[in-house]
Amino acid sequence: MATRIKAVATEHHRGRVLGRGALHLTDAAARSCLERGHCDGAELDLLINTGIYRDHNLAEPALASIIQDDLGVNRGHPPKFGHHGTFSFDLSNGGCGVVTALQLADGFVGCGTARFALIVAGDADPAPHTTRGYPFAPAGGAMLLEYVPGETGFLGFAIRTFPEAGLFESNMRWDEAAGILHQGRNVVEFVESPQFAMRCLDHGVAVARELLASVGVGIADVGLLISSQYPADFATSLARRLELPSDRVPRVAPELERTHTAGPIAALEAADGSAARHTLFVTAGAGPTIAAALYRR
Amino acid sequence: MITWMLGEPRPSTHASRIEAVGRELPARRVTTSELMASTRHHTNIDLEKLTGIREHRACGPDESSLTLAIAAARDCLRRSRYTGGDLDMVINASITRYTTGTTHRFEPPLSLSIKEAIGAPKAISFDISNACAGMLTGVFLLDDLIRRGSIRRGMVVSGEHITGLGTNAARHIHNIVSPQLASLTLGDAGAAVIVDRADPNSPGIALAGFTTLAEHSRLCLGLPSWHAPGAQMFTRARAIHDVAMQDGPPLVEELLASYGIELGAIDWLIPHQTSVRAIKAGEHALSEQLGSHPKHVVVTVDEYGNTASTTLFLALHRYLGEHRFARGDKVLLLSVASGLEIGIALLVLDDLVETHGDPN
Repeated sequence: MATRIKAVATEHHRGRVLGRGALHLTDAAARSCLERGHCDGAELDLLINTGIYRDHNLAEPALASIIQDDLGVNRGHPPKFGHHGTFSFDLSNGGCGVVTALQLADGFVGCGTARFALIVAGDADPAPHTTRGYPFAPAGGAMLLEYVPGETGFLGFAIRTFPEAGLFESNMRWDEAAGILHQGRNVVEFVESPQFAMRCLDHGVAVARELLASVGVGIADVGLLISSQYPADFATSLARRLELPSDRVPRVAPELERTHTAGPIAALEAADGSAARHTLFVTAGAGPTIAAALYRR
Repeated sequence: MITWMLGEPRPSTHASRIEAVGRELPARRVTTSELMASTRHHTNIDLEKLTGIREHRACGPDESSLTLAIAAARDCLRRSRYTGGDLDMVINASITRYTTGTTHRFEPPLSLSIKEAIGAPKAISFDISNACAGMLTGVFLLDDLIRRGSIRRGMVVSGEHITGLGTNAARHIHNIVSPQLASLTLGDAGAAVIVDRADPNSPGIALAGFTTLAEHSRLCLGLPSWHAPGAQMFTRARAIHDVAMQDGPPLVEELLASYGIELGAIDWLIPHQTSVRAIKAGEHALSEQLGSHPKHVVVTVDEYGNTASTTLFLALHRYLGEHRFARGDKVLLLSVASGLEIGIALLVLDDLVETHGDPN
């Protein structure tokens, strides 16, 4: 009895005038994922959105509920005995959101409380005229989890933080001088230290080794390394430091490089067809935070 | 077997319980009449009569979502047998994420700063967002993790510096149908709750369930203001009220039936606190549908306003502090929030009723 990753999908900005927003990209990825997983959305029990930068910086409701509405999944009204429902909420843990959500969803799916769970992620510049230094590629991703009997599933998780101020932060604040007429605007600003990438790498290596040791799996047994796509080159540098052959690191399409929360989903999609028995997830985000997981199939 | 709400069957390797509850209230009180006197336009709205809200608390210049959350977490730990270092997980569940004044943080998550401040550096930490159902969502997640043995104990915490919405709305409201009227009912507060592993025979958190009626997800939208620091919120309050009255009772009925308990056996119903009138209407709708009444319905909105994700635990804290509860009392927490989220947890109170009033 365990959790199986049934399907993944991503969507990126395809150069159209419309369709750049995080919601559009996430919705599109979620639809593709359900289609690839041959899953009727009505079967979903749980939907967790881990994207951070959404259209107009919407703070309420959880974007997950809007995505559920857009997908037409158990929209309700009125609920009746015997009918099926879906629970949606947002989770925010920087670039580690997907793996953090995996740990939560694994509990509900792995014990059969939920049969299907969908984890989605998507980020895009929320308001280009009032965002300064937005560093990520616009992209959405989705991962479908299914309850299955057998030994497939997650062997362990490790989520650790290594607080160090000023390495990576994003804030929204009021700027009196912003706006076309300098009438003032709420602006989103990013601050990234040159040391951020190196710290993510150092801590990522340590957490990956700690996780592998805790579940008794050697690095040589890791057939696939799934990592964040930001900071740039995190995945390849991590593989080098862990002494993993480069062919165990999937290369994402150029337009998905620098993808934020959907980064690990993009890597999984790029690894489509891999026969790896053990997949090691290592993601990094602000804090710095490292979230790692080991998956066996 | 229930199917609409995600909740059952739950893993039963262990049981879980509410171990401690903490809160933080800003000292500054703002009466509803003071707030209505600040509107730019003459509104003719008797908000106090309409909502039953007499006053709310509002952050001072040195307070923020973060400071409220940290103070509530510390109050919670003072009432707990645990230290911060004992916590396996810290979940921040606030809608607002202000660290200072009107600076709203996206990354890193606020939970990271909170756990550092309370001495819980090894706890897994992340933020969740589920509108006013955020804290109950966090309890729902901890209950699952504890029941299946993944963690032993965790904290859900929230600091809501949300009265800026009322300040911004006061410039735009003309009459009672204004989409920003609900912003005038908000209050600032922090709350925290520790959930831990209980004796397997202890009912503790006897049941918990959540569902999202996403058809109504766009009835209440909160986003940064276009004109001023902070945020703005547009609410179709009547439509939300109608959905909650129509769809809430069958969901409560479904979950209570799964546990084999009737509404009349509930000692205390603590609903989300939006207005006294809405709470009374909700109680009436529940009683009509389920054929019985809870013994007591908790109302704190008159004094605190709608404090967003913290309302249920602010009310629980207050009634624990006033020794209203007895050991064995059944307390039903009911969240109704933008999304539209409906969440329920049934607590059977244990020695929390004694330990709460004895901060160490």
